[in-house]
Amino acid sequence: MNPPNLTPPLQVGFWASQSRSPARVTLMQTLALILPVGAAVAVEGLLHLAALGVMLFVCISWEVGFALIRGRVLTGHSVTTALIVATMVSASVPLWQLGIAVSFGVVLSELVFGGRGFGFINSAAASLAFLAFSFPGANLTGDATWIAVATLPGAVLLISIGLLPWRTLLAALVSLIAGHFAMNGIFDPIGTAAVVFFGLVFLICDPLASAATNVGRWMTGILAGGLMVLFSATDQASIAPGSIVFAALLTSVFAPLIDHIVVMMNFRQRMGRHV
Amino acid sequence: MRVCQLGEAADKTDSQFSMETKYPSEAALVGLDCPGLRPLLKVEPGETVRCGQVLFVDRAQPEIVFVAPISGRVSSIEIGARRRLDTLVIQSDEPERNWESADSAPPAGSSPRDILLARGMWPAFLTRPFARTPSPDAVPDAIFVSAIETEPEAPQPRTVLTSRIEAFRLGIETLTTLTLGPVYVCQDPGPRIIEPVDPRVRLVDFAGRHPAGLAGTHILRLHPVDAGAQVWTVGYQDVIAIGHLMQTGCYDASRIVAISGPRATRPRLIKTALGVSVRGLTEGEATEPKRPVRTLSGSILSGRLSPWLGRYHRQVTLMDGLVPERTHTLVRRSKPRQSPSPIIPTGKLDNALPRGLLPLPLMRALSVKDSEVAQRLGCLNLAEDDMALLTNGCTSGSDYGSLLRQVLDELAADS
Repeated sequence: MNPPNLTPPLQVGFWASQSRSPARVTLMQTLALILPVGAAVAVEGLLHLAALGVMLFVCISWEVGFALIRGRVLTGHSVTTALIVATMVSASVPLWQLGIAVSFGVVLSELVFGGRGFGFINSAAASLAFLAFSFPGANLTGDATWIAVATLPGAVLLISIGLLPWRTLLAALVSLIAGHFAMNGIFDPIGTAAVVFFGLVFLICDPLASAATNVGRWMTGILAGGLMVLFSATDQASIAPGSIVFAALLTSVFAPLIDHIVVMMNFRQRMGRHV
Repeated sequence: MRVCQLGEAADKTDSQFSMETKYPSEAALVGLDCPGLRPLLKVEPGETVRCGQVLFVDRAQPEIVFVAPISGRVSSIEIGARRRLDTLVIQSDEPERNWESADSAPPAGSSPRDILLARGMWPAFLTRPFARTPSPDAVPDAIFVSAIETEPEAPQPRTVLTSRIEAFRLGIETLTTLTLGPVYVCQDPGPRIIEPVDPRVRLVDFAGRHPAGLAGTHILRLHPVDAGAQVWTVGYQDVIAIGHLMQTGCYDASRIVAISGPRATRPRLIKTALGVSVRGLTEGEATEPKRPVRTLSGSILSGRLSPWLGRYHRQVTLMDGLVPERTHTLVRRSKPRQSPSPIIPTGKLDNALPRGLLPLPLMRALSVKDSEVAQRLGCLNLAEDDMALLTNGCTSGSDYGSLLRQVLDELAADS
């Protein structure tokens, strides 16, 4: 009980305390990914587990290698990369292609910069882009409705512990649905959102690849939604699964610029107030 | 020589709650509270001093004096690197009598500024930007008194102020003579703490969670210092001491301090002196005495491990002691861990700074010590205690308080 002469003690909620260290953050993201991965395996068949296993092995090997040789912090983050890629590719992609793709993503967008949190591109997005560029036959999974449904609980979990910038998510959904309606004349909010929901939550709304300021988060969301519509323009008037990967890549490249603009605006505003 | 007992008047009106008094047998002045200070000593080890007697002055600005918080014997003076003060410890054999302050009333006609300087109350003020003791002839654009507390388990200012509201009022009046601008008294929403006579004294309500009670929040809202202004901050208990000095001519070193923290048996207020020994204050206060315990000077958020109560701290915190960290073989085998860990933007960092500042860009600028960008992001409005929530909420394990101090020192050297 708090004595009346003192201010209230510090209250830290259980879930809020789960984002204390990089390893905890990874654990929470992995938790959020379990259901979508399960849905992907259910959709693609049990053989998809082999793809998941290969990618997990490759990712963890790279991370442990860098930890031993370069002294990087072991955050286990590459596990989430493997899980995200496994959810988004179809079972027809050969295993060796997947191995090369995740190696590219994990090493070149994350580990060479110093590990999770030091790069500026989501490693799963980099892996998927590599896959799409290098192996034209490699398909991303098409049927995303069940995966979208399975993503919902994880998204709620991540939002509640502050690991998912909800401003980006909301802005991207609104701009995607509005853009889709303006470009293609199709107004189907649920259907449009379902196609991209998993990618939106785990690629575009990655807290590290998105902007770091609140205004910037709204802006990156709008940009990402617009880019998805633009990249699907050739694809028979529906949102293409691949478009989200390139939208995520381009958005994360622009996020630092957007943050810079927000910082300049903030500075002007404060100086203006004082003069 | 007249001798006055401190807080006599206060104790008589103390009917609202009974407050325990712990007479300090040891107290110290700590160099950490006056960064960069090189002392010119006026006493020698072993000398007997009275409460309020000058111990040393600032070598660069000899008008600024530092006085003894208790009466007793100077037991040790430690000077650290570059002739800076480390600690000066006073021990007392008669703790009950050590608050008797020798009265050397200043000559009539001297200005409040001269009295505050000569009687050791000047270090109560800190400037923004840079959070340092102001120079003796500086005139601030505004003075901020924080009579609101949002640190966890700190004393409620209203409780402390009720018994000594007259001294507080007089202290605020004294502050108006130091500045040409406003004196802001920041309080929590509720009845007005005082009814000021001078129109330059402005009462401002602040509501909400931490950091709503920090001076950085108040300054950013009312008088940002980005564009070259200088404001001063002063704690409400120091204002009481200033009022007491003006009223009676006696130096008041008594402070009301909260004993708090998850391991405190009985969190409560205690009346003691500035710079008191934390160990003496918390003796027998911890639950489960056999388990290791850590005592901080300051709150659980912004406190520091120190054997002495900090000059600007209003509480001590008892926490679980550190247990050696268990690490996996793989982690031990790998090369020494790079430091720091990454900054992962989580939701709780968004509200960790006063509104109007951008936490993540500032954290990134501080962690690479980019003082130019940090200045653009408003770091001049801040001091170490404003950074406590960032340090606690960040995955990187960096101490943003000390990073900010380094950047501020660099900016101060440039300006």
